[in-house]
Amino acid sequence: MKGILKFIVWVCVGIAGAGALGAIALHRGEPLNATWFVVAAVCCYMVAYRLYSAFIAARLLALDDSRATPAEIHDDGRDFVPTNKWVLFGHHFAAIAGPGPLVGPTLAAQFGYLPGTLWLIAGAALAGCVQDFIILFCSIRRDGKTLGQMAREEVSALGGFIAQIAVLAIMVILLAVVALVVVNALKSSPWGTFTLAMTIPIALLLGVYLRFIRPGRVLEASLFGVALVLFAVVAGQWVAESPSWARAFTLGGVSLAFVIIAYGFAAAVLPVWLLLAPRDYLSAFIKTGAIFSLAAGILFVRPHMMMPPLTRFIDGSGPVFAGKVFPFCFITIACGAISGFHSLISSGTTPKMILRESHARVIGYGAMLLESFVGVMAMVAACAMPPGVYFAINSPASIVGGTPAAAAATISSWGYQLDAQTMTQLAHSVGEQTLLNRAGGAPSLAVGMAQIFSSTIGGERLLSIWYHFAIMFEALFILTVLDAGTRVGRFMVQELGGRVWKPFARTGWMPGILLSSAIIVGMWGYFLYQGVVDPLGGINSLWPLFGISNQLLAAVALVVATTILLKMKRLRWIWVTLVPMAMLVAVTMTASYQKIFDGHPNLGFLSKANSLAAQIAAGQIPAAKIAETHRLIFNQRLDAVVTGVLALMILVLLVEALFQWYAMLSGRRQAVLHEAPYVATQWAAGFTGVAHGDD
Amino acid sequence: MRMQRAGKFAKRSLRRFWRGLREWCGDAAYERYLRAKGRQDSESGTLNAEEFYVEQINRRYSRPNRCC
Repeated sequence: MKGILKFIVWVCVGIAGAGALGAIALHRGEPLNATWFVVAAVCCYMVAYRLYSAFIAARLLALDDSRATPAEIHDDGRDFVPTNKWVLFGHHFAAIAGPGPLVGPTLAAQFGYLPGTLWLIAGAALAGCVQDFIILFCSIRRDGKTLGQMAREEVSALGGFIAQIAVLAIMVILLAVVALVVVNALKSSPWGTFTLAMTIPIALLLGVYLRFIRPGRVLEASLFGVALVLFAVVAGQWVAESPSWARAFTLGGVSLAFVIIAYGFAAAVLPVWLLLAPRDYLSAFIKTGAIFSLAAGILFVRPHMMMPPLTRFIDGSGPVFAGKVFPFCFITIACGAISGFHSLISSGTTPKMILRESHARVIGYGAMLLESFVGVMAMVAACAMPPGVYFAINSPASIVGGTPAAAAATISSWGYQLDAQTMTQLAHSVGEQTLLNRAGGAPSLAVGMAQIFSSTIGGERLLSIWYHFAIMFEALFILTVLDAGTRVGRFMVQELGGRVWKPFARTGWMPGILLSSAIIVGMWGYFLYQGVVDPLGGINSLWPLFGISNQLLAAVALVVATTILLKMKRLRWIWVTLVPMAMLVAVTMTASYQKIFDGHPNLGFLSKANSLAAQIAAGQIPAAKIAETHRLIFNQRLDAVVTGVLALMILVLLVEALFQWYAMLSGRRQAVLHEAPYVATQWAAGFTGVAHGDD
Repeated sequence: MRMQRAGKFAKRSLRRFWRGLREWCGDAAYERYLRAKGRQDSESGTLNAEEFYVEQINRRYSRPNRCC
């Protein structure tokens, strides 16, 4: 009887999900309510988790709770720490949830809400969650080894090297693009700049408290810090209203870029306890709070989607970034559906803390579903504003014009009604001088979030506070990614440099620290500067590069997963990883080809370089701008080379893996699995890991 | 009777939430380390709270721990 009831409930969930998806896909006419998106996403996630993840856990991986995990075998209270399932879920989610699922869907909203929403839901259930789950499982079975180590052992030495280079490449481009998002959000915004600047002394204060006064008391210090940051958000308004203070905190794009570059260098060189760790604590609390508040706000306000399901820009002529819906919707969404970077977390800290193998299902698969839901919420927030406003905020001045009147005229001519007064009024009501030409997704998401929050609490009066709260929330955790990433990048550079000259790899040697930090900051700083001075807004070239490198890393992870499954003799179910891998290869190769060779200057790097060169040759560029134009040409060619190298790495890895698979399947090579030996667990069946002995 | 049971349930849930929150944010890391140390027969010395905190965060921020 109970079984029948359960079956009926799951059938109802399935029908509700299919009905809501159908409504999203087929509804035309009156704006659709956001509730449909929430119902579609939640029901699809529930069905995917209940059926697909259970199938992977039981049939494909055969998770075994009688087997001791690395956390039990090596329990040292430092790296290997047996952790309660839900606590580890929180850790893992806090680690994987970055700016990607917020910014990506916001940018992809230029195609309308339909393509992005469908890929967010389907991509997560069939690809992203699968990757996170299987890589986590593989790492647990190998004593918590990293993706690079697994690639080296299970695929080949070349596979391991490609994984290492892919990680460094994604790190450099990721840091540049997220820094660019912050620059575009804070330029000419004294309120936002002041608030974010204040997070630095607040973090320093917390760092000293946590190091010398109450070591390790993270909760009390973070709550105090969060209160100070919220005060800084309010105080930012006083700064913006004071002419002298406002002048001091009003910075242009290039100045902000240099400030962020200097900050990244300082964060990589200074002791971790002083700046990096306390900022991360602040960011984790504010990020978690803001994400859950946004979910509650959407459920409470239930906004209507003002953006159409499909816009005219699916043809590739979009102003936010150029490129057709295939492959650029997938490349742009990236982390919200599948993120290669997650495989580093799934093969990093999490496998060393997991209590039972079966927990990998909720932590690996479940946390990624939640991340996808964050992406759906970002899509809702972006599409809940009038399309004209969305395009005015996210389009570069070179396409829509730099004044409200020009932007309104251009955008209205595309069929998205906008009058100049609307943009001026909106900027005024959120406490900014202008909201035009702020490509990057952060300001439009902040406007969307502020409108949802202010409809819940405070109304129009608090719109500017909510807007700057949202900007602070995004910028704070983007900078946390930036400083943590720069430090990790520094270690990677030191490790690679150490192969050439041994002393360089010594992590405590100050000249090595300074030089490696300068190299990694110089690399992402160059791309950042290039993005800031790019007439097309930078996002147009850098975000696709980021998406391609991210999806490349996901392809590496899926190649490793497929190889391990083949060695485990799971040939029958190999499509579980093979199909998403093939999809990623198709998407990244098509996007790479178009970004390099497409004939339209807004899309193809080489075509843009050639068009600029032709303009110089025809004497159309004023003499004063010739040097600058030569730099732009160089940047376009550099981007083409970087994209080409990334694409080549995918091809090399794929050919290498195909040879390995063929050798294994044809019996020419013995399939040797590098799993750690089986050790039976000593823990009782009900052991949950919460405060040993208390539960 | 039912009220009492509900009260106990609420108290237990709150205690669990509090413990989970302390584990999640890292507040309980040093206590966990001491417990693990107590279970080992290792002869190496035990770190004090300050040393443990610095060592732990140095290690944590030397590998990818924040995603895009």
